[in-house]
Amino acid sequence: MKEVYLDNQSAKPVDPRVIEGMLPYFGEKYGNPSALHTIGDIGTDALEESRKSIAKFINADEDEIIFTSGATEAINLGIIGYAMKNKSKGNHIVMSEIEHISIHNIAKYLERSGFEISKVPVDKFGRVNLKKLERRITDKTILLSVGYASNEIGTIQPIREIGKIAEEKGIAFHSDAVAAEGLMPIDVKRDGVHLLALSSNDIYGPKGVGVLYMRKKFRVNPLMIGGGQERGLRSGSEDVAGIVGMKIAAEIMQKEMPGEVKLFTEYRDKMIKQILEEIPDSYLNGHPTERLASNTHVRFDGIEGESILLSFKDKGIAISTGSACTSKTLEPSHTLIATGLLHEEAHGSLQITTGRFNTKQDIDSVLKAVPDVVTRLRDLSPIYKTKKV
Amino acid sequence: MKSTKYSEKVLDHFRNPRNVGTLEGDDVSVGKVGNPTCGDIMEVFLRIDGDKITEAKFRTFGCGSAIATTSMTTEMVIGMTLDDAMKLTRNDVADELDGLPPIKMHCSNLAADALHDAITSYQRGRGDDVPEDEKKADTSTECIIVGQDEFLDKGVWLAVDNLKEFEDQRTLVQHTGDVSVQQALELSDVSDRVILLTPENSVVTTPDLEEQLENSRVKILYESRLLEIRGEFEVEKVLILNLDEDEDYELFVDAVVIIE
Repeated sequence: MKEVYLDNQSAKPVDPRVIEGMLPYFGEKYGNPSALHTIGDIGTDALEESRKSIAKFINADEDEIIFTSGATEAINLGIIGYAMKNKSKGNHIVMSEIEHISIHNIAKYLERSGFEISKVPVDKFGRVNLKKLERRITDKTILLSVGYASNEIGTIQPIREIGKIAEEKGIAFHSDAVAAEGLMPIDVKRDGVHLLALSSNDIYGPKGVGVLYMRKKFRVNPLMIGGGQERGLRSGSEDVAGIVGMKIAAEIMQKEMPGEVKLFTEYRDKMIKQILEEIPDSYLNGHPTERLASNTHVRFDGIEGESILLSFKDKGIAISTGSACTSKTLEPSHTLIATGLLHEEAHGSLQITTGRFNTKQDIDSVLKAVPDVVTRLRDLSPIYKTKKV
Repeated sequence: MKSTKYSEKVLDHFRNPRNVGTLEGDDVSVGKVGNPTCGDIMEVFLRIDGDKITEAKFRTFGCGSAIATTSMTTEMVIGMTLDDAMKLTRNDVADELDGLPPIKMHCSNLAADALHDAITSYQRGRGDDVPEDEKKADTSTECIIVGQDEFLDKGVWLAVDNLKEFEDQRTLVQHTGDVSVQQALELSDVSDRVILLTPENSVVTTPDLEEQLENSRVKILYESRLLEIRGEFEVEKVLILNLDEDEDYELFVDAVVIIE
């Protein structure tokens, strides 16, 4: 049985065109970009070409791109690096309640290091409240972090407006663009973003590669000390093959994004409409229109997410859920809780994320499975009552 | 170990749960446990003949292991004496399922507790001397809500004059009588997120309002007490105590209505 894969938010297959373009860099083009001989120069050229391409992908300058081992490292470097560098200016950081879990954990780390963190609530759709955000900024605030879009419920944030607030207040604006990249145009100049994290895998490149965009005059302290690569901000010999992979992925994405987004939007709207119509007591999580084209996130009264996930697994379909029982901590999704859901509501969620290699048949097979799965689990449930007619 | 790395036996009981359903009758006893934080609620129904369990059924809301452990528990206890069933532990159930992922041992393996609950309430019902558990917090309405005065007119409302202000607002209404039920119903016309909070396990009101509530989209939080209103500058969240579980948790809301 061929597995139907609809969990593209958690990992994506590497595009075959990307793999092909990477291969020479494992074999004949193995040079270290720091070396001064011809073999080294080949590596340097590949690295600098990649830097240019990726800069273009987000409308940045090439000397503003720092390659890292992935988005998590880019976020660490962007937030912790900036906080440490600017400690003397202030110790206050503002972030949204629905940042990626890695940012919440970085915030805990910074709190232990003497920083103060204010978290901005979101509305029931997961959109950051700008008024509440602005009011949290004090003369001690040095940094603001709001992601382009939620990796869980897909809600897109008013990034340009937030960029304007950061500009007016004279503070740095960090944005995690991982969930959004490849699904909406990212333009650091237009949006007023100063620090931005990207992942290679989220645009169908290899895992283990990421980028921190760092605008001039918004310098960070390095976290990785060594031979001084990436202008001393990220030491360690560059993963040239991986970086080339990310470059090719970005180039393909720039060409293919408009068509993909259009198709994903059709899939998404069909899934949301059909599920909400067919299943009683089902609800959409996130924003009805301001949401990533790939993201369908619904919840069902009276059933639990891990059971939903396992049931789909038995049908050969890979999906995701906001359930506590699938997390490492057994806590429900902080994002769903921030939208105002109760724990038991947050538990019954189903997240479907489409990607480049999905077909219409994949969408049909998940839609066919949903009523079976929900009905069976509701029949088992003591808390689901068909009270509403 | 992955939290969903289950044994074949667990998966079998998840896919084909035994003894699903409920039982009724004078010889039936029900046990219920739940942990809302982790998201598992289990009900075990026992039919008891003298000292013997003759039939067992269950219903479970929860993850794969929650469903499997309750299913296995009912299978194990049919035919057992009450004394033997009282000795059945969570570990026995897990062992019979060829083990559970460590993280699942605590909160999704409560079926044995539901079983013991059913047996004790049966024994108590026929007049056995069974020691009371000291739990059960008092459910009398205590009136001190931290933050109520601080957030007055900043998201805390003692009366609702203009429904328009509640459009798209996640609103919590404290149950203080029929007027508050009426208010919750009116609010639900302009906001799809209205929560009515009551310390009781049902909303005591007029039959008419009760029916309207049934057919409305008002979400009712039973056995809950509003402890504290929190926020920076205005109402942003509330701290709620679940009286049944004696556990508190935060809920994000935009407005709190307390009609005194």
